[in-house]
Amino acid sequence: MFLDEPGSASRRFFYSAIFWLLTPGLIGLTLATFLYVPAVYDPLPLAIKPFLSFGRLRPAHVNLAIFGWLSMAYVGAILFVVPRLTRAKLYSERLAHLNLWLWNLMILSALITLPLGLTQGREYAELIWPLDLLLVLNFILLGLNVWGTVLRRTEKKLYISVWNFMVAIIIFVPVYAVGNKIWDPNGAYTGMTDNIVNYFYVHNLFNSWFTTAGVGLALYLLPKLTDKPLYSHRLALWGLWSVWAGQHHQLNSPAPDWLEYLTIVFSILAAVPTIAFTVNFFKTLEGKWHRAADDVALRFLVTGAIFWALTCVQGVAQSFRNFSMAVHFTNWVVGHSHLAFVADYSFWAFGLIYFIVPQLVGRPLYSRKLMEWHYWLTTGGMTVFMVALWIAGLIQAQNWATNSVPFIVTVKAMAPYFLLRLLGGLTAGAGILCFAFNIWQTARQPAPAGAPSPAVVVSGD
Amino acid sequence: MIVKQNLVYYVSISVISLLLGIIVTIVIPAQDPVTPSPLAERYNDLELTGREIYKREGCHYCHTQQVRAPEANRVMIHQKGDIGPESLPGDYYYQSPVFWGTERQGPDLAHLASREGIGDNVQWHLQHFKYPRGMSPGSVMPSFDYLTDAELDALTAYMLTLK
Repeated sequence: MFLDEPGSASRRFFYSAIFWLLTPGLIGLTLATFLYVPAVYDPLPLAIKPFLSFGRLRPAHVNLAIFGWLSMAYVGAILFVVPRLTRAKLYSERLAHLNLWLWNLMILSALITLPLGLTQGREYAELIWPLDLLLVLNFILLGLNVWGTVLRRTEKKLYISVWNFMVAIIIFVPVYAVGNKIWDPNGAYTGMTDNIVNYFYVHNLFNSWFTTAGVGLALYLLPKLTDKPLYSHRLALWGLWSVWAGQHHQLNSPAPDWLEYLTIVFSILAAVPTIAFTVNFFKTLEGKWHRAADDVALRFLVTGAIFWALTCVQGVAQSFRNFSMAVHFTNWVVGHSHLAFVADYSFWAFGLIYFIVPQLVGRPLYSRKLMEWHYWLTTGGMTVFMVALWIAGLIQAQNWATNSVPFIVTVKAMAPYFLLRLLGGLTAGAGILCFAFNIWQTARQPAPAGAPSPAVVVSGD
Repeated sequence: MIVKQNLVYYVSISVISLLLGIIVTIVIPAQDPVTPSPLAERYNDLELTGREIYKREGCHYCHTQQVRAPEANRVMIHQKGDIGPESLPGDYYYQSPVFWGTERQGPDLAHLASREGIGDNVQWHLQHFKYPRGMSPGSVMPSFDYLTDAELDALTAYMLTLK
């Protein structure tokens, strides 16, 4: 259960992540079906109806996707990358395994408690108190391992990615603690403050964990796959001002105006590190684009970076009051969140898994064809999914702004876009099945006789 | 800016920026004097139970309770402008958690009970919860026929506080 073999925890984190990708994916498809054909829910037996109700499955979909799939894929990659960049053994492989089991326990509990209706009722902060504590513990254990490894490093110079991981974890722990009020079993503040804290937390969940750690991972993978050094080693200090931009998720709201203006300023400033990363990424890629034709891992990484730039353009646009007034509350936002979580962070995670898993198991991937299928189905499906929702959102925005159509008419107008979203989701899901099957087959093949386990080899950059 | 290869230095910058962020964007706004508005509701036990059911069933994922200034008294739910007046900080005075919401797959509910004939109609709510499309053809809302009568009564009592 608590192996000491180097790389074993990383490997298991990846396998767990893939399992936790399939579960929320399936829930997401169920939700998309309910929105397109609500009547399929009606005839279900009363005994199971509560657990499949839209409002209970939606937080399960979100929490499993972000804390199960994406976070565990990140952790798997971090546990693999940090020892290599520091030329040191992971501080404690056994601790990493404990981390793994506690993390899976947390996600399994989330899968049980959320459909039971046990929730704190705040978006992205739904997990009940014991799971809040477990989550914080998990991040602290991860931090111990990352920091412990860094402190024992034999490589003097620390690569950017390591900085990003260290800071992401250090910032995210207090962000989660404050955002979820973990000293209070109810986990909610009162009145307007509750929402202000909620969106401070939500914004920094993206900003300090998924973006800071994600950028670190992308900047590790890119030079590896292009055989080129990073264009610039200057650090884009990510979290530093974007920490302040949380309230841009609730513009024109009852929150104080000065706070909204302040967050708008910081949201615009956040364009600076965004542009820095994008320039750095594509300058490093210069002359190596053709590699993406053959290398699916690199293709996922590059596609993710393009979608990431688009996320940031949308993000800045959405932090203007007038644009927010139009698209906030519409399906545009659902498209935007899937752009960030699926089409960039998850695409980077696919690239990382394709690059790292063969090294961890000591043999090449089972099928090259399945990788191609995964890429095209998932990219194509997600593109249809997101574009459908953006169009739907703009139509809703326009319909609401006319002030002359009953609301229900604007709901009915969504049907064709909900159908496209469902079809896009099914296509993307088919791609993800190819991915999961491919990794599963890769994992269960016997290792070639006499081959050393590459996981043991610790090499720096 | 090239950051020095110094753990203490880098960690300090990160932690200080985080602390400042918490102070400026959470602590200071929380000092804003907010007093209960005329619409702020002190819930009785039944209404509070209903509110907990609203939370448990995740109603807030599809319904906001937040009318923004530019749309106040303008946007049409059933009739022109019946979305109601702009939401004020004091409206939420007694609420924990607040249900501002981020999506409107269904209409805003901040002033639901002020929509005469529907929002303030107990029977309408009970029927609508059990089979939404019976009362509102084309609705995508799930049916809540699995709730007990007592739960539906509590939920309806909570709906009527949304004035």
